[in-house]
Amino acid sequence: MLEITGLECRYGKVSAVRGLSMVVNQGELVTLIGANGAGKSTTLKAISGLLPPAAGRIVFDGQDISDASAQRILSLGIAHCPEGRRIFPYMSVQENLDMGCYLRRDADGIEADRRRVFERFPILEGRRRQTAGTLSGGEQQMLAIGRALMSRPKLVLFDEPSLGLAPNLVETTFEIIAEIRAEGVTVLMVEQNAYAALEICDRAYLLESGAVALQGTGAELKDIPHVREAYLGG
Amino acid sequence: MPEFLQHLLNALILGGTYALLGIGLTLIFGIMRVVNFTHGELYTFGAYMVFFFVMVLGVNFFASILLAMALGVALGALIEFVLLRPLRGADIDTTMLVMIGAWIAMQNLEQFTWTGIAKSIDHPFPLDPLVIGEVSVSWVRVFVFAFAVLLIAVTYLLIHWTRLGKAMRATFQDRETAALMGVNVKGIHTLTFAFGSCLAAAAGALLGPVFVVAPTIGDLAALKAFAIVILGGLGSIPGATLGGFVLGLAEELGAGYVSSGYRDAMGFLLIILVLVFKPTGLFAAKERIG
Repeated sequence: MLEITGLECRYGKVSAVRGLSMVVNQGELVTLIGANGAGKSTTLKAISGLLPPAAGRIVFDGQDISDASAQRILSLGIAHCPEGRRIFPYMSVQENLDMGCYLRRDADGIEADRRRVFERFPILEGRRRQTAGTLSGGEQQMLAIGRALMSRPKLVLFDEPSLGLAPNLVETTFEIIAEIRAEGVTVLMVEQNAYAALEICDRAYLLESGAVALQGTGAELKDIPHVREAYLGG
Repeated sequence: MPEFLQHLLNALILGGTYALLGIGLTLIFGIMRVVNFTHGELYTFGAYMVFFFVMVLGVNFFASILLAMALGVALGALIEFVLLRPLRGADIDTTMLVMIGAWIAMQNLEQFTWTGIAKSIDHPFPLDPLVIGEVSVSWVRVFVFAFAVLLIAVTYLLIHWTRLGKAMRATFQDRETAALMGVNVKGIHTLTFAFGSCLAAAAGALLGPVFVVAPTIGDLAALKAFAIVILGGLGSIPGATLGGFVLGLAEELGAGYVSSGYRDAMGFLLIILVLVFKPTGLFAAKERIG
C-alpha cells in the first residue's frame, strides 16, 4: 500500500533522513521506533507532504506521491495525526472535527463519520461547543484522533500518540489505535514508548541516524539484544 | 451636555471606518505575519477609485463604492501574488522593507496619476443634517457609518460561519496542521490579503466623499490603523473593532475638550499609555482571529 525507497530529507543543510526504505501493507499496523532525532517524525512529514523529500520515492496505492501537495495526499487517503496533538486551540471541538473533513463535500457521509467519532469518544459529544484548548490532554488526544478519522482515511500516520499522557491514558490510546486497525484502516505509528509499540504492532522498523537499522515483527525485535538494551531498558 | 453627546455621536461615526481599517490590517498580520505598509495606499486607492468613477465617468455613487472595493480585492491579490508569495519564508525585515518600497512606489504613482491637488467627490445625500434632539449629523456620515457597520458584520459572519473563515482561523492558529487538513495555505494568504485590502479600500471609498482625496491621505490612515491594531492586540478582530471606536472617541474628546490641533495626536498618546501599562493591547484575550 505504501512503499518508500531511498528517502532522503533535509532541513536546510541538515540531513534528517538518509536513504530510508520501508513498506506498509494493506491492513497492517506498522511502527517506527528509534531515538530522538533518528528521523521518525521527518519520515511521516515526508509521507504527508509537509516536507518535500530531497531524494527518493514514496508510492501510495500505485501512485507516486513524492512531490504531491499535502492537500492531494490527504485526498488520496492518508491522514496525519501530528505529534503534540496540534488541535486548533481557539476553535470548538465541533469546528476541529469540521477541519478534519475540510476537503470532503458529502454531507451525509460526514454526518455519519461525526456520529461514529462521538460514539467512540462520548466525552467529545458533550463538549462539542467547548473551546478545544480548554480540554484535558487526554481529551485533546481523542479529538486529534477523531479529527484524523474525519477524512475517512485508508492510512493513518500517528506521530507519538502517547506523548505527554497519563499512564492509564497511554494504554487507552493504544487500545483505540488497535481498534481503528481492526476496523480495516492501515496504521503507521511513530512511538517513543518502544515496548508498547512493539507489543501492538504487526511489524516494526528500528531507525538509527535516518535509516532503517533493523526490521521484523514486534516479537522478533523485542528478542534482539541490541533493541532490548538500547530501547527497552534491558 | 448636548456638546458631549455630539462628540459621542461623532466618535461613533468615525469609529466605524477606523474599525474597518484596523480589522483589515489585523487580519493580514494575524494570518500572514506581514506588517502591511501598503494598507494606507489601499485606502487612498479606494478613495481615488470612487473619485474616478463618480467624478470622471459619472457612475452611480453607490455602485462606485462597490467597484472601488472590487478593485481593492484585485489590487490586494496582485500585491500578495507578486511581492509576498515569493518572499514566503523570508525573514520579517526583508518583507517589511519590500512593503515599505511598495508603499512609496504606490504613493508616487498616485501623485503622478492624479497630481498633488486635493479632489472632492460629490455625494447624493441632502446637505441638511439629520437632527436628533440637540445633536445633528450629516446624512453622508450616517451612510458611511451604516455601511461600515454592515461590512464589519459581514466580516464576522465570514470568519465565524463559513468554510473559508474556518480555514483562515485554522491557518492562523497552526499553519502546518491546517495544511495537513487539506487547507491550501498559499491560497488562504492571497485571499486574506485581498480581503484586508478590500476593507482598507472600502474605508477610503467611504471617507473620500466626506473629506478630500489627496495622494498622502493614506499615511495618516495607515498610522491610525497601526494604532488601532496595537490598541486591540495583534491579530484580534474584536480588539480591532473596539480599538477603532476607542480611537474615534479619544480623538473626538481630545479635539473637543483639549485642543483640536492635537486631534491626530490623541490616538498616539493613547498608544503610548497602552504600551506602558498593558503592552499586549487592551483586548488581548486568548481568542484571536475571531
